[in-house]
Amino acid sequence: MSEMIQFTLNGAERSVAAEPDLMLIDVIRDVFNLTGTKHGCDNATCGTCTVVVNGKAVKSCNFPIEKAANAEVMTIEYLAKGTVLHPIQKAIAESGAVQCGFCTPGIVMELYGLLENKADASEAEITNVLSKHLCRCTGYEPIRNGALMAQKLMQARAAAK
Amino acid sequence: MGYKYIGKSYIRPDAIGKVTGKAIFLDDIRIPGMLHATILRPEYAHAKILKIETGEAEACPGVVKVVTGASCHYHYGDNIRDLVPMAVDKVRYIGEPVAAVIADTPKHAKAALEKIHVTYQPLPVYIDARQAMSQDAVLIHENLGDYWHLPTLDPVPGTNIANRYHLKKGRGGEGFGEADVIVEGEFDYPFGSCAALEPHGAIVWFKEDKTIEVWSSSICPFIIRDDLALSYGVPAADVRVHIPDIGGCFGYKSDITVEQTIAWIASFVPGSPVKWVATRQEDFTSTLIAHGIRTHMKIGAKKDGRLVAIQSTIYHSTGAYADTGVNISIAATHNSTGPYEFPHCEMTGYTVYTNTPAVGAYRGYGHQEAQLATERMMDMLARKLGMDKFELRAMNYLGEGKINALGERMYKYNGDIQTCAREVQADVFGKELPKEDEQFFYGRGFAAVMKSPKGAPFSTKSCFMKMNTDGSVNINMGGAEVGQGLRTIIRQVAAEALMIPPEKIRVYNELDTQFSPYEWQTIGSMFTMQGGRAIIRTADKLIKVLKETAAQALKTDVDYLEYDGQFIYLRSDPAMRIAVGDLARGYITGDGITIGDYAQAAADARLPRYANPDKNGQGSTGVTYTFGAQAVELRIEKKSGKIFVDRFSSMFDVGQVVNPLQIRGSVLGGVTMAIGAALHEELLFDDEGHILNPQLFKYHIPTIKDAPEQKIEFLETPDMIGPFGARGIGEHSVIGAAPAILNAIHDATGIDFYAIPITPEKMKQALEGMKEVAA
Repeated sequence: MSEMIQFTLNGAERSVAAEPDLMLIDVIRDVFNLTGTKHGCDNATCGTCTVVVNGKAVKSCNFPIEKAANAEVMTIEYLAKGTVLHPIQKAIAESGAVQCGFCTPGIVMELYGLLENKADASEAEITNVLSKHLCRCTGYEPIRNGALMAQKLMQARAAAK
Repeated sequence: MGYKYIGKSYIRPDAIGKVTGKAIFLDDIRIPGMLHATILRPEYAHAKILKIETGEAEACPGVVKVVTGASCHYHYGDNIRDLVPMAVDKVRYIGEPVAAVIADTPKHAKAALEKIHVTYQPLPVYIDARQAMSQDAVLIHENLGDYWHLPTLDPVPGTNIANRYHLKKGRGGEGFGEADVIVEGEFDYPFGSCAALEPHGAIVWFKEDKTIEVWSSSICPFIIRDDLALSYGVPAADVRVHIPDIGGCFGYKSDITVEQTIAWIASFVPGSPVKWVATRQEDFTSTLIAHGIRTHMKIGAKKDGRLVAIQSTIYHSTGAYADTGVNISIAATHNSTGPYEFPHCEMTGYTVYTNTPAVGAYRGYGHQEAQLATERMMDMLARKLGMDKFELRAMNYLGEGKINALGERMYKYNGDIQTCAREVQADVFGKELPKEDEQFFYGRGFAAVMKSPKGAPFSTKSCFMKMNTDGSVNINMGGAEVGQGLRTIIRQVAAEALMIPPEKIRVYNELDTQFSPYEWQTIGSMFTMQGGRAIIRTADKLIKVLKETAAQALKTDVDYLEYDGQFIYLRSDPAMRIAVGDLARGYITGDGITIGDYAQAAADARLPRYANPDKNGQGSTGVTYTFGAQAVELRIEKKSGKIFVDRFSSMFDVGQVVNPLQIRGSVLGGVTMAIGAALHEELLFDDEGHILNPQLFKYHIPTIKDAPEQKIEFLETPDMIGPFGARGIGEHSVIGAAPAILNAIHDATGIDFYAIPITPEKMKQALEGMKEVAA
């Protein structure tokens, strides 16, 4: 009998049998059918598989499932509440940061990991986290613009509370 | 211009699906009963297959079938039918499919793959076209003479030359007799990869009813449909191809490639859908690669700078199969004039078989490769003439009344390169260049560019529209959305044509050959122009249907009616009107009797008067051109040789900007990609044909830290063909970066480079060499 790993996935208690080489991305995509998290490369280079674990953005393609034991895992599917987008999603959609959209979920989760913890992150910090992601379409300017726009929306949201 | 919806930055209709992770890409598709395939790749880039042992693999857990190419007796291809879905008796490149495992899970399929044993007899390996063209070279395709090919192609059986294209304008090479000054050089645009973030993949299902259903991350569903129908002897109508959202293309998801391989594999397990998605490594080794173009160029001019003759020879190392590369060689050849008029042209393009993966489309399609030579040579010619490089170019630009290499006459509506060049020059060269300091050399470089699409006689795009009773409209087209934003463009063009707000127009998401109107393939930066024209034609037909119905209801003539998006009304008395929604299902009269047709329409559009080349290699094969200018400001770090692109400036005459946000995004991305190619991207092969860097951590595509500040401007000289004057722009932004950067390196250091990429190591080595010369 293989060990059962318990964790929270998008707010729900989940468990999965541990297997050698089973990565978090395989569990997210293949066991729970959450296909917003993408496979773009073979070795944690491109960032399309980024999810948030215990509040921190991680690459799920080299994150062994054992490490997710008792953790809170959040994927792109958990950000919008019905038709209400998270401010990061709204900003990324409106800034021109979406072209093919394959890198988008990973980038949104990366920014979530940064901005939900540090609403006043500097532009250099934003650029640093974005440098862990590859985008072949946009030349990055609209992604940076989207991140800055998201930051403003999130600050406004916090001020309104 | 006074447009209501054109020229405004509407947000993409697919943005929300993409930011919420709900957009469906190929790998996200799961079909009940689906099996998974893995594919064995060879140890040698060129070898005879002596024996394949599959017994051990067949006995592995979960394995349903092990497939080889031994029984495959067909070739496929759209231009030259030289492709096989799986190696039959020899392998021709390192990533070729040799065998495949079909299993219940990807894991089982992968485990069993290692249990297939193949015995090879290695053959000589050729990476560069010149090696493969040598007299004693072993043939990569022994049966080249037997392959079907388009009548316009000219293969040379008994050699590795898959095609020879020759163009002569004026007196050709004899024109150099009129030249006072001649410059000559050879330039190399090496192998690369489109490296879209989404790797290729396909699902193929040979169904019990003998139809074939396919899902693919491709931009040409109708080519896949027709090609599979031909290969498997079924009616095209019985092959149904679906295209979900595509995670970037940049060229290499055009043409038919992996779909034929997955179809071959799936044909062994009829009844079961078979899925395969490339690993990133396979995406590099086993799909289409890019470029591989050497350009040998000679340019002659009069003392005063007037260009008289050009001779260019394209040596295209096209890889193991030429079907996907042959048109790139041809495009590189006749577009090697760049944006200049030469009275005399002698141009030859060789498409040559080599032992690399097949070269296929890459954004720019031969233009950046050949124009790297042209724009370097123009700087060199200016130096030799002792002339200002901008003045030299300005004297020779194609423009109204000038004739290009193909013999096509340029009109005012083709755009104004003179203004683009002047504006970019003023932007980048209008201020003082920083002086060399302890740390850096500083330089600026310029390139003017031109691009035409590569068409085909049947290269049409079509549109279907239907109006609903609330006046909203659904639109289906065959154009593949790869990220370029064509769904937004369709909405805006249709809104303008139908005079209704874009919000009332819903554009299709996926393509499906059963439901989508026909499109050849979404290539050549042509969707806005051709697709837009198809939209306007369809809208005109739809409005005509509404008017015909209204004419009966209002008891008048069709030509006495007007349309304003909301109503059909009497020209003389606008109060006599019927809402368009009330005409959508035909007009229902008071007693329930309904008159007129349903308000729906379809139309298509080709490039007008596209023609095959004649015996001189000339003809109306370009049809439409977009011109522009680009320039760069850079710094070279003396210690490391690292090049920092500080600023990049572009201006294109696009006829009419449809969506300012999207068009800026397109150019931002194209320039960034091309800077990657100029400074660090190269797919590296060893002498045995192994690829040394088939991973994204070894093949570096630009990150946010490599992306320069960009100034991007557009000129709007309305086009005669495109919708509301718009022209193509998708690929053009990649053309000028490499020559502008190399020209800037010369400006900074006096060093002439003839090949890219200029890595820090190469730059440093050159700087050290320069010191030695100085010492």
